[in-house]
Amino acid sequence: MAIRRYGTFAGGIDLPDEKQATISRQIEPASIDGPLRVPLAWGHLPAARATVEPGQHVARQQMIAHAESGDSVDVFTPVAGTVSGLVCVDVAAGDRMRSCPAVEIVPDEQAFPPDAGAESFDWRAAGAAAVRQRLREGALVTFARGPDPLARWLARGRAKGCDTLIANCMENQPFVTAEHRMLADLAERVASGLAILAKALGVAQTVLAVDQRRTGDYQDILAPARTYDISRVSLHHKYPTGAEAILVKLLTRREMPPGGTVMDVGVATTGAATCLAVHNWVACGIRAVGRVVTVSGARATRPGNYWSPFGASCASLVGRADQPVIHNGPMVGVRCTDQTVVTPSTDAVLAVASVVPASPSPCIRCSWCTDHCPARLNVAELNDAFELSDLSLARRLTAQACVECGVCTYVCPARLPLSQRVKQLKRVLCGLDRDLPLFAGSRA
Amino acid sequence: MTEQATIPADTPASRGAGEQFPAFESPFLRAPEAARTVFLVTFGAACCPMVAGIVLFGWRAALVAGVAICGCALIERVYYFVSRTPALLGRSHAYLTGILLALTLPAHVPWYVPLVAAAFAIIVGKGVFGGVGHFIWQPALVGRLAVAVLFPVVIASPAPDMPGTGPVLARNHLLTGDVRDYTYAPDLRDWASRAAPPHADALLVRRPSATLKDLSDPGHATFSALAERGAESSSHRPLAVMHLPPLNDMIVGARPGGIGETCIVVIVVAGLYLVYRNYVRLALPLTMIAAAGAVAAVAPIYLVGSRDELVTEFLPLTAEGLDVGLVYVAYQLLSGGLFLAAFFLATEMTSRPVTAGGQAIFAATAGALAMVLKLYFNTPIPAYMAVLAANTMSPAIDRFWRPRVLGQKHFAFLRRRRNKTGG
Repeated sequence: MAIRRYGTFAGGIDLPDEKQATISRQIEPASIDGPLRVPLAWGHLPAARATVEPGQHVARQQMIAHAESGDSVDVFTPVAGTVSGLVCVDVAAGDRMRSCPAVEIVPDEQAFPPDAGAESFDWRAAGAAAVRQRLREGALVTFARGPDPLARWLARGRAKGCDTLIANCMENQPFVTAEHRMLADLAERVASGLAILAKALGVAQTVLAVDQRRTGDYQDILAPARTYDISRVSLHHKYPTGAEAILVKLLTRREMPPGGTVMDVGVATTGAATCLAVHNWVACGIRAVGRVVTVSGARATRPGNYWSPFGASCASLVGRADQPVIHNGPMVGVRCTDQTVVTPSTDAVLAVASVVPASPSPCIRCSWCTDHCPARLNVAELNDAFELSDLSLARRLTAQACVECGVCTYVCPARLPLSQRVKQLKRVLCGLDRDLPLFAGSRA
Repeated sequence: MTEQATIPADTPASRGAGEQFPAFESPFLRAPEAARTVFLVTFGAACCPMVAGIVLFGWRAALVAGVAICGCALIERVYYFVSRTPALLGRSHAYLTGILLALTLPAHVPWYVPLVAAAFAIIVGKGVFGGVGHFIWQPALVGRLAVAVLFPVVIASPAPDMPGTGPVLARNHLLTGDVRDYTYAPDLRDWASRAAPPHADALLVRRPSATLKDLSDPGHATFSALAERGAESSSHRPLAVMHLPPLNDMIVGARPGGIGETCIVVIVVAGLYLVYRNYVRLALPLTMIAAAGAVAAVAPIYLVGSRDELVTEFLPLTAEGLDVGLVYVAYQLLSGGLFLAAFFLATEMTSRPVTAGGQAIFAATAGALAMVLKLYFNTPIPAYMAVLAANTMSPAIDRFWRPRVLGQKHFAFLRRRRNKTGG
């Protein structure tokens, strides 16, 4: 096999790794105390309508909420138990928390991960349309930071004419090891799920991108990857190689237009968790009712990689109610509230010592933010634009190209919340562009 | 914090405010270096040329440094209590300003010169702009420029009747000598060869930059050639290069000048440490020195011909062969404060541009301007004035030099904008 070399990118930074606590711990079921509060919406999606009554007994994987439009998905219960009522929980939506309704279930048993079981659907023999139909029936979502119904994701990918599917298993944030464990422990199923997605999307090539330091742990994936014609690529550990736009640029040399998505350049990205859920549903008929979550951090009592049902409280996963808990990795994550529960976007729950809000001082223009920005933004000028509320300057500096990796805030010696500010500018710019009627139709 | 105030009323970000609440800030990890660390490490690096200066210029150099540093800290504190400018609260930047200011001053100045310079540096250079992170011109150089204008004679030489000269301690009085206790040594070339006479600590010698100035001043053409090859004329000193100290004296700093600007080898080592710490982009000092060298290589100089007529030598680099030309360029670079300006003063973070390309433009401008000022203008501090002039340009450079952002078309800033995204 010819050695293919991939370039690097300007900027980025080598972060402290901090994965020792959980990197070699196999996936095990989490022990959850108390009721599950299964949210009826994931991320930004609209909530589904609950179909169960308080006091009703539900069986495992029974539908508890029905989606009323294609924008949301049906919700299934991870455990058998008794519905005790409708409550309100917080779910992560991008870099914010959002409150949404949830069904509270008092479980009869401890939640446990679905066993592999026999394959009930022969997706290899079925046509692509049949696979897509099967995926649509599964009511799956993408297990990304902003969950999206998988059926909608597929339709968008096909409409944009995607020719490449990249499984993004870089996972180069500190502490997080969930995808690493999925690749190491459940390689066969991840590869199969990726192949199913590739078939449904109809892409020409499928790539699995992993961290170059972990390739030794992924021997199990070689045989299935060869079977399904998945090319394996290992990339440098530098953060944020795992940011979508950067990964796509490295692997395909296509650059995402500012403010767009990677699908605009004909590339679809997914992750190991999505692949696993796709395999479980399409091949084995198991609903996606939980996911692998890394529990780690300096104050975590039981660090490890746990299969946790959706709706389990993040604070109870960590086991420490007195410490601040961070949802997702430390670079792009959100701080949990007491009501935050596990959703498809939860890849890690971290208990940290204390989140000290650093008091910002004036920018000294050290240029480290600009040097380390993977999108080559002039972050110092964008900070000026933010402080002056100068949106036209931000637009000229193309704030929409921000990949939201958080490196600028990480390096800032003046402790300014730079990535927050740039994200804010980006959001306003993208929002303004979408809202202007003159350009409403031109972006499609 | 005015985060909410910057969002126009009707945008998705503000509309969802009812059900979404702002999260605590990610990332939750922070790099260990704070602004204070940056200033203190730079201060430590600047101590290296200061120590070299104290060795070469004696206890008066330590006095100047002490007055400058304490003066900056004190004046900044007093100014803070008057104006309550919050960005003046820390002391680390005052120390840094003070030591940089002391590095640019000669050791023989009286005590009030560093004090006045410190007052100008803190109040005019920093305070009126709003403190750390807000000023346009490097504050230490603002103070240096002020005293260069206010006390030109005192700073130029301890002997008012002999401009163009300066003292340096003799080799048997290093570190403990008094530079004001000098004896005139007009014929001294090789510093290491001569010890001071018993009644003096220092030798008063002609500045190398004053000697070189004769080459670029058409009214004062003194030399008939740069080096030995044009030695036929008797009425003029033939060998410009032979009247300068040897190059190793220029590098270790045994020549008159500012406290920190003579010892090139220590400046370079301390500057490279700053590069290693990522405080300085190596391209900036290198570009500045290279630009100054390029100007020195091509800028015309004036020699005296065999019949006492003025000979204009274009391209001095090759006029008498490349070997002589390179030595001439090296003397032009090493004399004066160019290296100190390149490694410590032009690299000051707030007053230089942010992007790599912008810094290259900035450094090339400063270097070329420094050499032009040194050759053709009668200014005592050409390198520092060039840095100040380039500082003036750096906001404009920041505004107009934009690297290509990820996903943007090449040369997007030249293209006509067709939609609001600029793409």
